[in-house]
Amino acid sequence: MLFLLNYSDFLINGFITTVQVTLIGVGLGMILGILAALGDIYGGKIIKIIVNIYVEFFRGSPLIAQLFLIYFTLPALTGIRLDVITAGYLTLALNSGAYQKGYLKGAMEAVFKDQFLAALSLGLPLRKILMYVVVPQALRIVIPAWSNELASMAKSTTALIVIGVREFLNTGVSIVAQTFKPLETYLFITIVYFIWIYSMLKILDIVYDRVKIPGLEPVI
Amino acid sequence: MTPIEQLIFLLKAVPVTLSISLLSFLLGLGLGIIFSFIRIYGTVFLKYIADGYEKVFRSVPVLAVMFLLYFGLGGYLPIFKDPYFTSVISLGLVSGANQSQIFRSAIGSVGRSQMLAATSLGLTQFKSLRYVILPQALILAVPGLGSEIALLIKDSSYSFIIGVIELMKHTDILRAATRSLVFPYIASALIYVALTFPLATYLDKWGSMKKRELGL
Repeated sequence: MLFLLNYSDFLINGFITTVQVTLIGVGLGMILGILAALGDIYGGKIIKIIVNIYVEFFRGSPLIAQLFLIYFTLPALTGIRLDVITAGYLTLALNSGAYQKGYLKGAMEAVFKDQFLAALSLGLPLRKILMYVVVPQALRIVIPAWSNELASMAKSTTALIVIGVREFLNTGVSIVAQTFKPLETYLFITIVYFIWIYSMLKILDIVYDRVKIPGLEPVI
Repeated sequence: MTPIEQLIFLLKAVPVTLSISLLSFLLGLGLGIIFSFIRIYGTVFLKYIADGYEKVFRSVPVLAVMFLLYFGLGGYLPIFKDPYFTSVISLGLVSGANQSQIFRSAIGSVGRSQMLAATSLGLTQFKSLRYVILPQALILAVPGLGSEIALLIKDSSYSFIIGVIELMKHTDILRAATRSLVFPYIASALIYVALTFPLATYLDKWGSMKKRELGL
């Protein structure tokens, strides 16, 4: 595997892209997920229907199909052209938001019905209830589900290969094209993915142990 | 091509997508049951192996596994030169790790006390597993397995990258043939939704109904 040292810059760049896409995808997805969950719980009928169509579509179709839709179909319909990496961010965010809505809604709904009523009876306005009572606790409860989401998003970034993003696996493809050593290259790449994702899961486990709310273990 | 003809062309690829998903699901089911039993009832050494398998295959992307097997091992073992076979094996290995976890939590909710009760009635350990633990655990596992099949139907689209002629590939062919970037992609995404949506929702409902019936 020593020949891979010649390509270390290339590999590091690819790995950084993968990490970046994962974190931005999950981060933007969290904002979308929170908005969608709030819309589904407290919103009107039309908002609920829109949220549910969005969630079912993005949970029900493969990421590759969604990437094609955002990268090819969206510009064909609206004329907005996105470059590959932006299309990647946007697709992963939309995809992740649909999944995170489910976790967040579960956490917000099941656990906070009483607290919501209590806060309401104390005279807090809705915005403040959400900001100071519901969301901060929901975020802490949802960490285990959320770490699964982070891991699955990290694995899903490999799909970006279909629109040509230079992420980690794609750098492997280029290296194989030059060196004709697929076994070593892909073995190395798979091992790096394993170390990265596994350690991410472990770290979030430790974080969860620190910040978990006693008596409110996850419902998921 | 009229839209109907285009749709029929896409639907022709659905059996391939479904067969990849189903075969890899069955492979994962076998692996999942075996490894979850090992992790609960096995010896220390076997537990170590099962634990390692679960950790590794839950933390690697399925596409990387496909590339490793198809391009990497394909040169040494001709059997991995077949993209269909390789997709099924890769998806199955990854799914096995997920299903092992699903079964472990299902067996865990049936409870150790039932195992003790069964052995105290004179059933052997194998028989208590076969007649007492497994029938209940399978029911508890149904919602999880339902979303696992849905996941496999979606992930089977990765096999298009190593050259399996399935739904995503037919979409690509249709795009090239009709020079349209709109209809093929929207239609195939909706076909995927139609395939996965009933699975996840229906099995989830069935699972919670059965669970209530059994009083678990």
